[in-house]
Amino acid sequence: MGIIEGMASGFSQSISFAVFPYLFVGSLFGLIIGVIPGLSGHFAMAMAVTFLYTMEPSAGIAFLLGAHATVAQGGGLTAILFSTPGTGQNAATLLDGPPMRDKGQAGLAVGAAMASCFLGATFGAVVLAILIPILREVVLFFGPPEVFVLAFLALTFVAVLGKEDMTRSLIAAMLGLLLAMIGVDNVTNTARFTFGSERLADGLSLVPVILGLFAVAEMIDLWVRGGSLAKEMPKALSARETQKQIFQGIGLAFKHWWLVMRCSAIGTAMGLIPGLGSAPAAFVAYGHAKQSSKDKDSFGSGNVKGVIGPEAANDAVEGGALASTLAFGIPGSSSMAILLSGLFILGLETGPKMLNSQVDLVFIMIFTIILGNLIGTVFGMFLVNPLSRATSIRAGVMVPLLTVVIVTGAFAGDRAVFDIGVAIVFGILGYAMKVLNYSRAALLIGFVLGFAVEKNLYLALLLDGPYFILQPIPLGLTVVTVVFLGFNIWTIYRDRKRFVA
Amino acid sequence: MRRTFLKGAAAALMATTMLGTAGTAVAQEDAESFYDGKSIRWIVPYNPGGGYDEYSRVLAPYFEKYSGARVDIVNLPGSGGMRGAVEIFNSPADGLTVGIINGSAMVTNQLADIEGADYRVGEYSYLGRIVADRRVFVAGTASGIESFEQLQSDGETAVVGATGLGGSTYVDAVIVGDVFGMDQNVVHGFNSSGDIRTAMLRGDVTAMWGSIGSAIEGVEAGDHKIILHGEREPAGMLEGIPSVWDLAAEAEDSERATAVLEAWDALSAVGRPVAGPPGIPEDRLDFLQSAFEQAMNDPEFVADAEAASRDLSYASGDDMNGIARAATELPEDIEQLFVSAIRGEI
Repeated sequence: MGIIEGMASGFSQSISFAVFPYLFVGSLFGLIIGVIPGLSGHFAMAMAVTFLYTMEPSAGIAFLLGAHATVAQGGGLTAILFSTPGTGQNAATLLDGPPMRDKGQAGLAVGAAMASCFLGATFGAVVLAILIPILREVVLFFGPPEVFVLAFLALTFVAVLGKEDMTRSLIAAMLGLLLAMIGVDNVTNTARFTFGSERLADGLSLVPVILGLFAVAEMIDLWVRGGSLAKEMPKALSARETQKQIFQGIGLAFKHWWLVMRCSAIGTAMGLIPGLGSAPAAFVAYGHAKQSSKDKDSFGSGNVKGVIGPEAANDAVEGGALASTLAFGIPGSSSMAILLSGLFILGLETGPKMLNSQVDLVFIMIFTIILGNLIGTVFGMFLVNPLSRATSIRAGVMVPLLTVVIVTGAFAGDRAVFDIGVAIVFGILGYAMKVLNYSRAALLIGFVLGFAVEKNLYLALLLDGPYFILQPIPLGLTVVTVVFLGFNIWTIYRDRKRFVA
Repeated sequence: MRRTFLKGAAAALMATTMLGTAGTAVAQEDAESFYDGKSIRWIVPYNPGGGYDEYSRVLAPYFEKYSGARVDIVNLPGSGGMRGAVEIFNSPADGLTVGIINGSAMVTNQLADIEGADYRVGEYSYLGRIVADRRVFVAGTASGIESFEQLQSDGETAVVGATGLGGSTYVDAVIVGDVFGMDQNVVHGFNSSGDIRTAMLRGDVTAMWGSIGSAIEGVEAGDHKIILHGEREPAGMLEGIPSVWDLAAEAEDSERATAVLEAWDALSAVGRPVAGPPGIPEDRLDFLQSAFEQAMNDPEFVADAEAASRDLSYASGDDMNGIARAATELPEDIEQLFVSAIRGEI
């Protein structure tokens, strides 16, 4: 089947009566799972898999991937309205989303986020489609040396993340790296920082850590402060006003189309790299949006570009992440592992067979990502009004309610009571960091990337020896990293001098 | 105050007695009527989406059909499958909790006395085995290696990829390498076997060990080639490929080689069994075993598993007892070899 033919067939199947209803239900399901803090795309897919046994392959694919595609959109809603990341991917949205809500621009932020998600997802899906003929070569481009340097490059973005000062950001990032070391190291089989606890031997799970750092910390803050989530807006926005803002927000995303494109490219590229995950992509995109902006100072206090960047990137990741799964049947993330087993259940094989003879199925995936996000955007808008009303509920009611949801979310991932404890401990840490003005985003990015940096450095050293860094691609990337860091240090130095003068 | 306490104590005592009598009454009941309409907790010690989860979910409806009970699948990931295995081992022995375990890994962890291995593989109440873990050694197409003989004689050190220290990809490589005195460099630390496959495609790694189920797809796609395997009676795609037994027969110390490989094979034979805690009442265990046997042999189930390209090799609960014991009771010197392999000391 040729590519054009496959595309046409994929599209007509996606909108056919046999497939579209599944795509629709899957997308709504994903959106709702995304809204609930702690439940991620991974969870949505795992639930969806159980329904696959009786489905036709094309319907099953649309259902499964639809449920995964819209999760980040739902999560963005929660991040902006409740200062609680709905999924790990939305942690970067917390930097500018909630400040916009506090300024009474919740609708604007949500509209921009939704539209960016849709545009980002479309970008990622289109890139995937373009790459189909050379997909295998692209995926094999990244070996341990390349991934190590790229992860390290992503790590240096902590320097520009927050509005906090650089020293504090570095301290937080280092703490994150240390936290990533917890657990039994499967290279040396040594238990690190486990204090003899068996549960710590697996390391800390990402979901309870994120929930703790951001969601629980926010609850503590709200409890201490009293009032309601929407600080300076004692009265909820009227439905009409919100609706107007949403459309304005959508307009803003289109107005900043060039930023959306660049951040989507970052997301897609990072999705292609195995083992990096989508949370770092959003942070790197945020860093890029801030770095390339003329009004850097307004980032962190409600700049819409700080919402558009990460939301575009975290949905663009999908297209990239699908690449290695499709090209080789090798999953790049836990969600992709579930997708792969879902495809097995449907009796499908990935790899060259699918790329050559069942390319229409690949296009069903591509169109599912695009259409799913479109559905997510439309229905997400309906969710905004009731949800944004909830933000003006007073703390005495809001805190217990959200805490129940958060605790359930922390438990649900691994069904572990231990994880509730992790969320609470990180909640206290997160609150302390917030009060003392340390960047929680920097800690998180250190935590997510620590594992990838260490593992790939080890493998690169074993496979290619200490001079792996001198290979052309790693060397080029290292130069970029050094230049980037140097530029940042220079900017800080210049600003300080100007400030003194 | 004191009076209420006494009252409470008396009530508690009565309740216990009543529960006790109820317990004996239940045990006398026919196992079939006991399970009718009950729900069985089926533990999967890994996240949804993996092979263990998939086997369980495909099998569950058939197990329901023959047992009359409802099956609730509970995913309890953690400690490389040990968390779930321990949970099954310590559940009440009422026959209402069972689960699938990663037999081979649980045996090696127990032998090496790894922290958290708080179970005894030889003591579970086995319902039977879903599949044995058939191991194959594959070489990446990028390496240009066509056969095991070529790998041995090309004068270059083979780079063999492995996941964690003590994981099965690692133990296989080290044990078989030791038996045949292979010139190899085992690079471990890959995140998953998928990552090793990627490295093999890039040409960073020459070869790797894995289960036949996970190798099939790559063989069909031409990504890698099976050059050695552990089957005594190779069939299908393994035909014409030398097995470790063929090589052992020609090895210098053929007797030792065979002895070590037999222990290695016993590990693979444990495979993926379904088990309950020790001490399930006999009538209930018999009932569960026969329901499991019927489910595993249901033609529709076999077709479902085939559609999902999942291998099956049923063994009965009684056979599993023997298999589990054989794998955990190794001769002293061979056990020592395995323990040092698992701990990464070779």
